Amino acid sequence: MLEIRDLRVDIAGSPILRGVSLAVGAGELVCLLGRNGAGKTTTLNAVMGHRRAAGGAIRFRGRDLLGLPPHRIARLGIGFSPEESEVFAELTVAENVALPTWTRPEGRPAEARIAHAYAVFPKLRQYLARGGAQLSGGERKMVSIARALALDPELLLLDEPFEGLSPLVIPEIARGIGAIRAEGRAVLIAESNLHHVPEEVDRVHVIERGEIVFGGTLAALRADPAAMAIVAAAA
Amino acid sequence: MRGGALLAALAAVAALAAAPPLLGEYRTTLLLPVFGYGVALLGLNLLFGYGGLVSFGHAMFVAAGAYAAAVVTGVWRIESFEAVLLAAAAAGLALALPVGALCARYTKIFFGMLTLAFGMLFHSFLFKFYGLTGGDQGMRVRRPTLLGLEFEELDKTAFLVGPYYWYCLAVAALLALLMWRIVRSPFGLALRAQRDNPRKAEYLGVEVRRTRFVAFLVSAAFGAVGGAMLAVPTGLADPELAYWTHSGTLVFMTLLGGFAHFAGPLLGALAYVLLQDWLMSLTPYWRLLLGAVLALIVLACPQGLMGLPALLRARLAARRRRAAAPHPAPAE
Repeated sequence: MLEIRDLRVDIAGSPILRGVSLAVGAGELVCLLGRNGAGKTTTLNAVMGHRRAAGGAIRFRGRDLLGLPPHRIARLGIGFSPEESEVFAELTVAENVALPTWTRPEGRPAEARIAHAYAVFPKLRQYLARGGAQLSGGERKMVSIARALALDPELLLLDEPFEGLSPLVIPEIARGIGAIRAEGRAVLIAESNLHHVPEEVDRVHVIERGEIVFGGTLAALRADPAAMAIVAAAA
Repeated sequence: MRGGALLAALAAVAALAAAPPLLGEYRTTLLLPVFGYGVALLGLNLLFGYGGLVSFGHAMFVAAGAYAAAVVTGVWRIESFEAVLLAAAAAGLALALPVGALCARYTKIFFGMLTLAFGMLFHSFLFKFYGLTGGDQGMRVRRPTLLGLEFEELDKTAFLVGPYYWYCLAVAALLALLMWRIVRSPFGLALRAQRDNPRKAEYLGVEVRRTRFVAFLVSAAFGAVGGAMLAVPTGLADPELAYWTHSGTLVFMTLLGGFAHFAGPLLGALAYVLLQDWLMSLTPYWRLLLGAVLALIVLACPQGLMGLPALLRARLAARRRRAAAPHPAPAE
């Protein structure tokens, strides 16, 4: 579904990604694990067309994404919940979630998509009329993911979905991600904390200084001392 | 539309419709520019309040509408006001297509400066191309017919405070309804989303630049229609309409009414016209007082007149809280 091959990205002249390759198959849950500054966010931003690639390839369902503007990539079916997941502060929760049903009208009808987004995060139903600025961090995260979900994406990119959240909210977000995955959508999570990696993950890629240094199952990662050393330093 | 807002809107239209006989001729003529400015400001506020783009060149579209009215009635000798309004909207759009295509690429101060520059260019064009535009003399706008009716038996003032007043009220009300539909549409949602955070709006599939461009076009069309409505009472399309200080006045009116509220620009147009008339009757230094009022709004009531009730409520609640808690917690 998503295939990143030998992706290189320079920011302000210095190489940030130095040949990142990874793949997410249909219905797969893949985790990109690495410490802050390793290149996780840059990888996701490059997929979304926000960072220009200096080399390599990004393909989504066989289609070349390089050079496409972000809104076109979103409309192809990639939902993105960025790390600073602030919702649109002056839009209500309901407006936040309704927006992508209009920008990507194909697929299932808008009502079904909105209902589905709230089914994944039922708590949001209480806050429909509330403005984005009046939500807690966890609620904002839920809105951000629900909003990406309302795009009816085939692939969901989540950047640090548990970052800075209270331990009480984390299971709720994790449940939501599990539900999204259970319905057959592919999910790529960027994560810096090994403890947040869901047990049901299909593959983990460890990224360090812009390079993928490990790729395999969670069990294989735990058995790999070199990769574990990097991951432990991050957590 | 929420019930309360709908009722308030209907009450305002009814009050304005009933006003002329009660107010008399002078005060009714005073109200006439409120409709034209109201329409133009609804357009300005689509960019300003909903899109987060402050235009300092909106007066060029007002002027374009006024000159369209002059050309249609004076040069082409078509008297139908409906044709005038359509021509004005077309003129606004024609001007906004190239200007907007450039300006929609920018935001913040760059957008403001670019619109200012285009406004000044347009003013120079109107001022210097004497053969085409009449230069500093401007162009005459002849009295139009309304829905095909000439109202020959009425003199100019009777026409303006009578049929023309109600006609403009109806046009303003219809266009306000249209704008309400626009800002409540998915397009309006996308426009507000890009104001908050253009990058995230793109991640959700919003084509930000095109959204801004379309808002610019709609804004210009409203500005031009408002300009045509303003030009009939004065009977003149004047290059000063396009001058940058006039653009500043339009922004001032919007701030006065409150750019964060849908009805803010309409209230701002009314309040500005009344305020200006009152201050002009008090002192020749009325501009000084207007400036003081603007400073006061920005400092004390940034949400404008529409934000005043909420501001007062918040103040009262704070005072009540202080009264209820006689021993304030020590500052940390």
